[in-house]
Amino acid sequence: MLLAQILVNGVLLGGLYGLMALGMALVWGVLNIVNLAHGAFIMLGGYVVYFLFVAGIDPFAALPVAMVALFVLGYAVQRGFLNFIVRSALLNTLLFTFGLDIVLTYLAQLLFSADYRTINPDYAGANVTIAGVTIPLARLAAFAVALLLAGLLALLLRRTRLGRAIRATAQNLTAARLYGIDPRQIYAITFGIGAALAGAAGGLYGMVAQITPYIGATLTAKSFVIAIIGGLENPLYVIAGGIVIGLAEALAALYLGPTWSDVISFGLLVLILVARPVRSLKLA
Amino acid sequence: MIVRWGVGAAVLALIAGVPWFGNELLIQFGINALIVASLAQSWNILGGFSGYASFGNSVFYGIGTYGTAIAMTEWGLPFWFGLTVGAVAALVFALLLGWPILRLRGPYFAIVTLGLSATMAAVISNLDIAGRNNGLVLPLTRSDALFYESSLALLVAATAIVAWIANSRFGMGLIAIREDEDAAATIGVNTTRLKLMALALSALIAGVAGGIHAYWITFIDPASAFDITLDVRMVIMTMFGGPGTILGPVVGAFILSAIYEVLADTISTAAILFFGLVILVAVMFLPRGLMDLGGGFRRLGWRYFTANIRENRL
Repeated sequence: MLLAQILVNGVLLGGLYGLMALGMALVWGVLNIVNLAHGAFIMLGGYVVYFLFVAGIDPFAALPVAMVALFVLGYAVQRGFLNFIVRSALLNTLLFTFGLDIVLTYLAQLLFSADYRTINPDYAGANVTIAGVTIPLARLAAFAVALLLAGLLALLLRRTRLGRAIRATAQNLTAARLYGIDPRQIYAITFGIGAALAGAAGGLYGMVAQITPYIGATLTAKSFVIAIIGGLENPLYVIAGGIVIGLAEALAALYLGPTWSDVISFGLLVLILVARPVRSLKLA
Repeated sequence: MIVRWGVGAAVLALIAGVPWFGNELLIQFGINALIVASLAQSWNILGGFSGYASFGNSVFYGIGTYGTAIAMTEWGLPFWFGLTVGAVAALVFALLLGWPILRLRGPYFAIVTLGLSATMAAVISNLDIAGRNNGLVLPLTRSDALFYESSLALLVAATAIVAWIANSRFGMGLIAIREDEDAAATIGVNTTRLKLMALALSALIAGVAGGIHAYWITFIDPASAFDITLDVRMVIMTMFGGPGTILGPVVGAFILSAIYEVLADTISTAAILFFGLVILVAVMFLPRGLMDLGGGFRRLGWRYFTANIRENRL
């Protein structure tokens, strides 16, 4: 029964991990930028939802606000800075987003202090028990939101004009330009969508874990690995990749002990990267 | 040429003389600046020459710290032996680590290094010999001159190594890897061996820096030994001064250390925040660092600062 419980926990947390990775995979696939500040975006989303929650707004209702706020931030960063250096060597965009990560992290520390914060609505403890397995409702809802957003992203990319423009830009920048697409705008919107997804993930993360200004780096690394496992042919595959990592972490913590859990997830990261189950990171 | 060497020797003598004429504050600042400059040089070997951006070089510093501390407190060895133990530990760790992770390129490599220090800190805090989370206390020696001069010796050695790299076949190979790794391999550069050597040299310097710092501070714990803000400083000082140059990291480290000291006096968060901003500005407007500024400015004037953007904008 314990094993079943661990598996359920792993799957639910994994769905959230998948949502975290979704924005990173999108930006990487379309813009060829590995955004090291992605985890900082998640952290900021967590704070937006936290402060709205403290002001009396339900965290799930606050999620869209966090998404809009992060979209604006992401759009501005891409339009105002990254668009200007996006064609240089990958090292430069890596360094730039590394700097951005530091600025956002320590700005958050300065503004919000380093205290641990948790988003704790009344229904946080509510759960249902099915066949002896306890399912916390807040985590289940977070999982559902992750799936929903992944589905919406898939629809956006497949069925809308904007989605077609994004996929065209990812496939061939010059050809897309010839067909009247303004890549500057598309890049900024794509980066904004990536940040908005990170913002939603951050809000949900604040309900299942604690938020500090420093959570960014590990979440960036985790998102990166999941993006590699999931690829970008289908946003739902990224959620599946997240579930794989969530399960692996839960099982490792069960059999090897929780004090080693950071070491385990890092070992897993190296293992996965070195073994590299390569999937295409291009939009189909 | 002779004039240049003369000026260099004079500056070096001046810096070396600080413990004799400087006040306490200047000596403290000097030790910190020299150690951080050595770390910047260590990052420069890997990040500046071979183009492998490591965001976790502080892990070698931390292992040097712990190697030295364990040798001195648990085994009762004198400082110089302890320092050797720390340096060798960092070197061995780099070789073991490099074997898997140097196969990774670009963002894959960068992401792995991002988690290195936090992971090693977690490992150390599970080890009894390393004092777990409580840390270790080293024997107290009050001799600032010793720490100052050994830090200076380390920086001079690190800079000499970089100067050798810049003028050797080894360095050419690293630059070839940075520019195009596949092409380098095609023309017969043994990329694996070169990268491993670069990582080992980098780790050796960082390990010695950690050992000196441990003995100077006399108290270490996982959080201070595997300090990720050190990574921030290494990267930014090298980028600001001039990646892949001989003196750039040293110049960048001295200038930014001085500014850091002033800012950290008021709010410590502001200091690191400032570093983040410097990276952003440097990557956009000064991608080759200060060392390139003089010549570039003479050639292009103010347009030098926008050259990067004009070339790489969308």
